Amino acid sequence: MPHCNQPKTMRFWGLFRVLVQPQRPQLASQCQFCLTRSRFFSSQPQPDRKNVNIGTIGHVDHGKTTLTAAITKYLHKKGLAKYVPYGEIDKAPEEKARGITINACHVGYSTERRTYAHTDCPGHADYIKNMISGASQMDGAVLVVAATDGQMPQTREHLLLAKQVGVSKIIVYINKTDLVDAEVLELVELEIRELLEDFGFDGAHCPLIFGSALEALEGQDTERGTKSIQKLLDALDSYIPYPERDCKSPFMLPIDNTFSVSGRGTVVVGTLTRGTLKKNAEAELLGFDLSLKTTVSDIQAFKQSLPEVRAGDHVGALVRNVKLKDIKRGMVLCAPKSLKLSNRFKASIYFLTKGEGGRSKPIANKYCQQLFSQTWTVPCRIDLDDDVTMLMPGEYGNVKLTLLWKMVMSPGQQFTVRENNFTVATGIVTETMPDVEVKGKLHLVD
Amino acid sequence: MQLILRNIPRFFHTSTPKALAAEKSALGTLRKKTGYTFTNCKKALEMHSNDIEKAEEWLKQQAQALGWSKATKLEGRQTTQGLIGVAIDNNNGVLVEINCETDFVARNVEFENMVKEAAESCLNYLKNTQKSGNSITKVGLDADQLKTLKASDGKSLADKLALMIGTVGENASLKRAIGIRVNNGIYLTGYAHPSGKATSNILLGRIGSLLAIKNLNPENPKIEELAKGICQHVVGLAPKAIGHIDAKPAENKEEETNLIHQEYLLDDSLTVKELLEENQLEVVDFRRFECGENVEINQ
Ligand SMILES: Nc1nc2c(ncn2[C@@H]2O[C@H](COP(=O)(O)OP(=O)(O)O)[C@@H](O)[C@H]2O)c(=O)[nH]1
Ligand SMILES: [Mg+2]
Repeated sequence: MPHCNQPKTMRFWGLFRVLVQPQRPQLASQCQFCLTRSRFFSSQPQPDRKNVNIGTIGHVDHGKTTLTAAITKYLHKKGLAKYVPYGEIDKAPEEKARGITINACHVGYSTERRTYAHTDCPGHADYIKNMISGASQMDGAVLVVAATDGQMPQTREHLLLAKQVGVSKIIVYINKTDLVDAEVLELVELEIRELLEDFGFDGAHCPLIFGSALEALEGQDTERGTKSIQKLLDALDSYIPYPERDCKSPFMLPIDNTFSVSGRGTVVVGTLTRGTLKKNAEAELLGFDLSLKTTVSDIQAFKQSLPEVRAGDHVGALVRNVKLKDIKRGMVLCAPKSLKLSNRFKASIYFLTKGEGGRSKPIANKYCQQLFSQTWTVPCRIDLDDDVTMLMPGEYGNVKLTLLWKMVMSPGQQFTVRENNFTVATGIVTETMPDVEVKGKLHLVD
Repeated sequence: MQLILRNIPRFFHTSTPKALAAEKSALGTLRKKTGYTFTNCKKALEMHSNDIEKAEEWLKQQAQALGWSKATKLEGRQTTQGLIGVAIDNNNGVLVEINCETDFVARNVEFENMVKEAAESCLNYLKNTQKSGNSITKVGLDADQLKTLKASDGKSLADKLALMIGTVGENASLKRAIGIRVNNGIYLTGYAHPSGKATSNILLGRIGSLLAIKNLNPENPKIEELAKGICQHVVGLAPKAIGHIDAKPAENKEEETNLIHQEYLLDDSLTVKELLEENQLEVVDFRRFECGENVEINQ
């Protein structure tokens, strides 16, 4: 992560030289943010290949590993990947993401249009940890089904998982087609499309490729062999959406830093996460129970004053009629009425094991600790789902967060929970709920 | 939105020409009816010149053999996931552990049913064992003993497991069980975590516990609730022994492994010992199974 190692960045505001120090040490692995930033900071034009995260899911033995190896071998010949042999894929060591140990294998490769980060996890829990830790947010999945078996009882669990980790686009690779006849293939396709529909996926239209990962891995240039790999890659390129920078929604700028420039006023600094910010735009500053109206009277980015900036740009915005002492890091500058302050959120959370540096005891309801997200810290209470009596270290679950102050948190936003300065849990927000009255006493709210 | 999506399958299923073909095709029908793999359905039809009924009959007869052949093929593959089943019937309680390869299968209803079946069998077995003279009788079962237990339909658990392996296509193993019988006057309770939805008197979870507790004050109205709480405590804090009243508590509270000296899970202002004294209760015994843990010999 180039950005995180960058110690200090000199920036300019009018005639004033300002030291902007990106301070986010405990969240050093928030790659998405860092990537946008490094794109901005580097002076080199970036290659225009987009990065997309995908994963393989499917029954043990249906050929996930063989398929992954076959893809890298095929693309290796084209100079677009490093060949990862079958035997090396399943041997991948455990990795650590934000302190969490995850059993996952990551393989990278490119097509002419995109680069892919391909994840294969052995279990449900690993995919969930992968999601919560933000190691890689999956943009799509390849469901591998062996034609000899057809879908299995636990294919349902595979699809439920895909839903749970937010995957909406599924491509089906029907494998082992070398072992069955055309009639079976037709039925396998029908069944799987129907099942996908039952689970709310676009089963009727999603791409479905017949192939033999084994033949492809052996390098056979047949329809079933390497040609099926090309078809799969084409389907990935066209069917899995690339998370575009959103320049159309109302703008939103989480504040990393604030300072005042004498003679001009108060400046807030941050990366525009969505929308387009124009000079003289009406805006709101939200966070820590506060909501302030203002106007953006100047915007600076790329070391100059600009009439407008777009999602992904790191900017400083001069905000009119706002005193420095009234705002702080952790607030959000946004289009009026586009975001809501709340102190209640739904979230998915994972509690670290003792070995990962977490707690040794389970938590029960009304667990109160400090919650860290982006650039801010707020005392928080965590309540378990109604049918859950406790969460043990090493387990994940759905919870409700109640913050001492109202903040802006968006679905997908990551946070950690700390006890005595040790991270004991990590999670992501899934939904904003209506706020509740707290009056400084978190443990009394019901 | 949900409504629209729910309607598509029906639309898709009945109105495309392909779907009609599938319903007419013998293979499609047989697969839909039986759920056996395509390869097996195909073989059955070939052997019975496309007679669906005969093919189905044959598949059912073969299920056991097919299951066994699959089980033999997968034998030796590591099973570290799975479920603990907890079953209680008055004075009898059991814990049973069954393992599988992935947590996907552990979440599947076929597997859950297998664990329930095994818990039921263990409970029956326990009820038919001789009581010892003590107020509490414990029976431990290892993998080989579990295999020979009979399920409700008379088949052995090993046969049942092979059938399940045939269905889910993943290795699975019967690992261990323990049964506890108590005499009247001792209260027996169980707990499984995560609790999930209990559909019968059998609880399923990743960790399970049994607790036998003596009520020194027969008037005690809260015994049920307190026993549940202590049972949950056993799951949550994994004590290794009950511990002696006179023994010195561990210096570091986090490392305390004796139940009575641990801080009570549901109220850390008191220890389990204090809770027991306050309510005139005495823990007679407990057992805790965590799925996938290394086991020292039970009992
Ligand atoms: N005949 C045939 N065998 C295959 C094919 N793809 C994979 N296999 C075999 O199926 C077995 C399981 O494959 P693997 O990739 O390990 O499955 P995974 O458990 O899903 O990763 C291996 O023995 C492979 O050689 C195929 O297209 N045709
Ligand atoms: Mg594999």
